[in-house]
Amino acid sequence: MKAVAMFLEVHQPRRLRRYGMREIGHSHSYFWDDKNSEIMRRVSKKCYVPALKAFMESGIKASISLSGTFMEQAKEYAPESMDAFRVYFKSGLSEAVAETYYHSLASVWSAREFSEQVKLQVRALNREFGVEPESFRNTELIYSDKIAEAVKSMGFKRVLAEGTDYIINQHSPNRVYRTKSGISLFLRNYRLSDDISFRFSNWGWAEYPLTADKYARWIDETPGHVANLFMDFETFGEHQVAETGIFEFIRALPGEFRRRGIEMVTLGEADNMFEKGPPISIPEITSWADTRRDLSPWLGNEMQKQAFSELKLIDNRNEIWRNLQTSDHLYYMSTGTSQDIVVHEYFNPYKSPYYAFLSFMNVLQDISTQ
Amino acid sequence: MKVAVIGWELPPAFSGGLGIHTFNLFGELSKMIDVDIYVPRLGPLYDYYPFKVKAMEIGVHAKYGAYGSISYDFYDAVERYNRAFDKIGSINGADVVHCHDWITFKAGIKIKERFRVPLIVTVHSTEMDRSGGFYPQKWIMDIEREGMKEADRVIAVSHYTKRMIIDTYGIPAEKIFVVNNGVGKHFLELPPRNYRSTGKVLYFGRITTQKGPEFFIEAAYKAISIYPKIKFVIAGTGDLLNKTKEEAESTLPNGSYKFTGFIDLNEALELYRSSDAFVLPAVSEPFGITVLESMSSGTPAIISKTTGVGESLRNVLKADFWDTDMIAEYIVGIVKYSGLRSTLGKEGELESRRFTWQRAADETLKVYRSA
Repeated sequence: MKAVAMFLEVHQPRRLRRYGMREIGHSHSYFWDDKNSEIMRRVSKKCYVPALKAFMESGIKASISLSGTFMEQAKEYAPESMDAFRVYFKSGLSEAVAETYYHSLASVWSAREFSEQVKLQVRALNREFGVEPESFRNTELIYSDKIAEAVKSMGFKRVLAEGTDYIINQHSPNRVYRTKSGISLFLRNYRLSDDISFRFSNWGWAEYPLTADKYARWIDETPGHVANLFMDFETFGEHQVAETGIFEFIRALPGEFRRRGIEMVTLGEADNMFEKGPPISIPEITSWADTRRDLSPWLGNEMQKQAFSELKLIDNRNEIWRNLQTSDHLYYMSTGTSQDIVVHEYFNPYKSPYYAFLSFMNVLQDISTQ
Repeated sequence: MKVAVIGWELPPAFSGGLGIHTFNLFGELSKMIDVDIYVPRLGPLYDYYPFKVKAMEIGVHAKYGAYGSISYDFYDAVERYNRAFDKIGSINGADVVHCHDWITFKAGIKIKERFRVPLIVTVHSTEMDRSGGFYPQKWIMDIEREGMKEADRVIAVSHYTKRMIIDTYGIPAEKIFVVNNGVGKHFLELPPRNYRSTGKVLYFGRITTQKGPEFFIEAAYKAISIYPKIKFVIAGTGDLLNKTKEEAESTLPNGSYKFTGFIDLNEALELYRSSDAFVLPAVSEPFGITVLESMSSGTPAIISKTTGVGESLRNVLKADFWDTDMIAEYIVGIVKYSGLRSTLGKEGELESRRFTWQRAADETLKVYRSA
């Protein structure tokens, strides 16, 4: 392959504090401001700021989405990270990608709510960075034909999805396709993406340590048009901490790419460069999360289903309700499978899905009794 | 290989978990090695066991009470039982002697010295646990310390107990091995339970300081004040039964609680299966087999952080034993939210299946071989 399209998801939820039953009807402050501020400051310092500096200095191109809940908290707790993104967007190295403002599951239950949250997000990107996104990436790559159709009707030209095993058995993830409804479709190359985001610092991995030279060679030797590397932005400095050598790796990548004639491109550039593959139909919902690549990380157990259905009932369209829609709240309640549980625990500030559920339900009850 | 087990009781006699533990663990071990189990002749015995049983005459005449319970002067019987080993002529070629708790430690030390075999002691609970840290009896702690000191290997039922053995008894960590208990097969063959709420919340265990019954009543009071529909069942008996009844009478509304007294295995199963939640607010619980029984019955468990089995469990709710606000919150949460009840119940059931007696036997055998 002679092109690499990197896409990075930037997101921080507004985490809920432990909200007790006795507080129902008495206290209406739900969010864990201390924790949220602490995490935002930490990640800004360890990841957003140094990673963007590395991107700028070494000329790394990446398409980027920033959730609304990230932007709000970044402005409040770590404005230097917003400034760093501003500079990066201005540099021409990046393309802004849209999503739902609240990084929610709205796409799976309400067309109206989905479209309102996307509009909020596009307005925020426009206001903060002066950009007009043309590409769309739904929460954690949640995707189906139906969602793609809604995305098209909102005017987007391209959309991102997971290259699940089932799909890539028939269609290589290394080119640009069309959705059933006709806009451009990018499939994540999960193997090449996870080599960086999951395996980079894994001593038990046969390919450890991963060098920029080796990684560029793999891409060069892989047939296809474009390597779709989609991952969390937080891979750089937070999930893979500086001590792993992730920054040295990323700084060396552009040079190694150039040496082999590989170009880093934005999603829009890739879309213009390559001839489209056939339309691909994905009727069932897929995502990039867990081993099953479906909705089970958010709606896999009875707690999650109960929390989600009671959340939908509130439907008061206010800001607190929408913050509660952030998918992370449901993710924290996941009991997962044994392969995924380590990942879930890493992200779970409550350490237990049951405590996450209790606080969430108590908050819902306070809201509905108001 | 052959092990001589200095036991105390075997089913059908039943005073705590020791008889059941002995039966289950050595039932499994006897599939791999020869097992001789010594017990004092006190209560009734079955005609057949999966291992060889030698009942020692100790000249104590027990009185039989309801539900197969027996009564006698416990400390006198312990003394006589340990003395009975003075006269023993051989241990039938056993390669290792294995004792359980202080009540058999003296006999174990004698056998180790006389027959020159390694001594293994299992610590199911310590005097510190049983007294809840309040006025432990020094003479019992002395026997415990001596037995553990003399032992070639000490088996602790949890890391919680291992720490207690190191910190309180000064035993070197290198010779202490953790082997978790298993859950009985009765609990592993149950059909899936349904999760319609019964509003019933269960305390089941000895009613004694160690298990924290007063915290159960306090949490019950707080839970009812948030959600009045809950009913509390207190099953079991013990030295704090009357005091606990008084506490319930003076704080809980009439009709919101019930004391069942002593219950047998079938009644326990029925209670586990018909309760929304099981609560063990133990002050100091070395293991807590009832937690696994509850979980394998599909019933969510709320336990104190000072309950040994909790250290390796994800699918339980944990609180400090004194934090009755938190315990009450968990109780109400489970009764009120069906999603929590069924997810915690199902995940807990799966998780409890890791604790088999087969695994406990394999690990115990490894300890024998290392001695």
